[in-house]
Amino acid sequence: MTTAPYNYSYIFKYIIIGDMGVGKSCLLHQFTEKKFMADCPHTIGVEFGTRIMEVHGQKVKLQIWDTAGQERFRAVTRSYYRGAAGALMVYDITRRSTYNHLSSWLTDARNLTNPNTVIILIGNKADLEAQRDVTYEEAKQFAEENGLLFLEASAKTGENVEEAFLEAAKRIYQNIQDGSLDLNAAESGVQHKPSAPPGGRLNSDSQPAKEGCSC
Amino acid sequence: MSFFKRKAKSKEPERVTDAKVNRAPASPNSPSLALRNHHAIQEAAGPSHVAINAISANMDSFARGRTAILKKQPSHMEAAHFGDLGHSSVNYHPQETRSRLSKTVDHVLRDNVAIPHYMHFMELQGADHLVRFWLEAESFRSTSWSRVRAHSLNSVKHSTLAEPVPASADGSEFPELNENTPNSLSRDSSSERYTVQTDSFSTEAGLRPGTPLAGTPNRQAPSRTGTPIKGQANSTLRALSDKLMKSIETDAVTIFTRYISPDAVRPIPITEQNRNDIVAKICGEDGMVDPNCFVFAQSVVCSILEQQHFTEFLRSHHFCKYQIEVLTSGSVFLADILFCESALFYFSEYMEKEEAMNVLQFWLAADNFQNQLAAKKGQYDGQEAQNDAMILYDKYFSLQATNPLGFGDSVRMEIESNICREGGPLPDCFTTPLRQAWTTMEKVYMPGFLSSNLYYKYLSDLINSVRADEFVNVSTSGQGGQADNDRSSSNASEGSQTQQGTKKAAIKILKNFDEAITVDVASLDPESLYQRPYAGRMTFGKVNEMGQFIREAEPEPDVKKSKGSMFSQAMKKWVQGNSDEAQEEMAWQIAKMIVNDVVQQSNHDSPAKSTKL
Repeated sequence: MTTAPYNYSYIFKYIIIGDMGVGKSCLLHQFTEKKFMADCPHTIGVEFGTRIMEVHGQKVKLQIWDTAGQERFRAVTRSYYRGAAGALMVYDITRRSTYNHLSSWLTDARNLTNPNTVIILIGNKADLEAQRDVTYEEAKQFAEENGLLFLEASAKTGENVEEAFLEAAKRIYQNIQDGSLDLNAAESGVQHKPSAPPGGRLNSDSQPAKEGCSC
Repeated sequence: MSFFKRKAKSKEPERVTDAKVNRAPASPNSPSLALRNHHAIQEAAGPSHVAINAISANMDSFARGRTAILKKQPSHMEAAHFGDLGHSSVNYHPQETRSRLSKTVDHVLRDNVAIPHYMHFMELQGADHLVRFWLEAESFRSTSWSRVRAHSLNSVKHSTLAEPVPASADGSEFPELNENTPNSLSRDSSSERYTVQTDSFSTEAGLRPGTPLAGTPNRQAPSRTGTPIKGQANSTLRALSDKLMKSIETDAVTIFTRYISPDAVRPIPITEQNRNDIVAKICGEDGMVDPNCFVFAQSVVCSILEQQHFTEFLRSHHFCKYQIEVLTSGSVFLADILFCESALFYFSEYMEKEEAMNVLQFWLAADNFQNQLAAKKGQYDGQEAQNDAMILYDKYFSLQATNPLGFGDSVRMEIESNICREGGPLPDCFTTPLRQAWTTMEKVYMPGFLSSNLYYKYLSDLINSVRADEFVNVSTSGQGGQADNDRSSSNASEGSQTQQGTKKAAIKILKNFDEAITVDVASLDPESLYQRPYAGRMTFGKVNEMGQFIREAEPEPDVKKSKGSMFSQAMKKWVQGNSDEAQEEMAWQIAKMIVNDVVQQSNHDSPAKSTKL
């Protein structure tokens, strides 16, 4: 997974949470690699992946933390919620239980993240229409009641995967614009960076890193 | 053996090998293949200098200079051989799970560095009496136990001295004092620092001086064959001993009056029942004060602190200041970074840039795995644990690993046997490779990170949020917003909450986004607008109010001329990280901030006067 050379202005931190087996890792993988992992093993603890996308004309890098859904990892994954700019809360439309557990995940998310964190509800496995167990309408209503964005997606076909990440990014960007998200708070989940070479690593081009320029 | 099935990737900067050289048997295939395989094997499991070269080669070939520097670093606890990478390390503690940057209430109350910041915050909240009570009670408890303990020790010692014949059972409870003065004990219970470890005192619980024993020691004293001097000493010492016990009582009463009594100015919120309990413990039937009399009240206070104030503290600029203090203290540890999510955010980005995400990912996953297993305290499903461990194995260790890290054969075999253990893997299953990954991150990547732009940015953000908050506190929002709009775009003035002026300032920042966002504390200084750094004034520079020499003449052309090839220049830059000037600048800015803070402290009564540097 290569990153385009350092030309992004922001980094947003995302977390992906939800019951085990709903497809969190597959969503991430589809988003970052544009491939569907049919046989992926469950996540141990946490993993992260990144991708750059364009939001309102700005290049934004998403640093996405994919958490394990198994209950036994719940305690360790909680420590990664903090400082997330966006959260994807995922359930499986073919398994009602994963939908029912959403309130628990939402509670965690609200308690452990910032008040400004953008949470988007994702109903995954939308390709398995025949086995649907949760209607679009009821999930939509749940999302509205709780102030969440909502999309149904499929990691397998790729449907709405990009949109899921993008919608959240747009909302975060909007929050920055209107000032409700403090860019400079260390826990904001947003890094803003100049379009300059990264620190600690000298490229062969002579573009200097801009240091405390006070003129 | 299928060594040759490995995908020998050409670029694996995150290789970690252990010191034990493991030469694989040459394959039976053609010589060229064997040679290639041999190289591949060597790359994977070769001696340390290969590891160094592999890492070096992948760091733009400048790293040779860097690793040479690293080799020279005092590896006091590491094997001198860089490639050991922690195999014999004593630095890695699996229990090291805390970042100094992430705190709980308990941690804060016991951290002398954090306490002042916490106290400031609580003063603003109007609840500092809770903290003071907790600190004083804690100090009281430990010093009381130390006094009690001194008693019992002294009585033992004294009795041995007094006894011409050893081993008399009832001599041991002499409430006498040693020849050593009681002043050597810490008596500053009213101070806010507690000085004595209290863990050992639980065993002293049974030893209460003055508890009458069969065979009343006091009466026996005169009958001892001690010298008259000793007899005299006895009574003096007894007086001192009484004084000591009395001091405990006095301290307890002081604390009670100050915080617990209903007549106190700001009593802590505890029930009548609790209050009576405390009174009972202070005025014990045997005339002795229970050193643990305040413990329950302390826990009540603790939970109040936790529930009502702590989250806000963690979001406050006081906490940021504390973090800055830690981060600029000159010794930042890997634990500080890895266990603090905001620092980890930046560090992950750095590791990705360095193409070393794998090391970090492995460390995170394996550490999480071990932690959740350890938390079960032995009550876990061995099969499930084994499945989890196998996932990690397949990903990072196996010969067909998807993300090979280059662990040597011996490590791999150790992992294999740990996983295949009867009953499933234990919580220390991955300790060896974890330690190696830790050391790699610590020695190879952390130094670079700490001198990188990213880290600088992280610190800047922290500083900015502190400045923002302080700025908000001392001036009106509208005025502040206007003034800041005129200044450089780097200052996101009132960050935190909902001021109307904020929105304007924020938008302005974004429009100027293409420019480097820099911390420029100096930009708040009106004087800087009028400085003409290089105006011909026939001076080389001046000393500013911080005592810093600001050079005003252009430096000599020679200084800036590149010395040597670009290679060596680049190497120098690599080795030194970002230019010294940048670091110095950062240090100065932080110093300014600290000085500003001190000045503000002394001007505490007149908050309108903000000394903006």
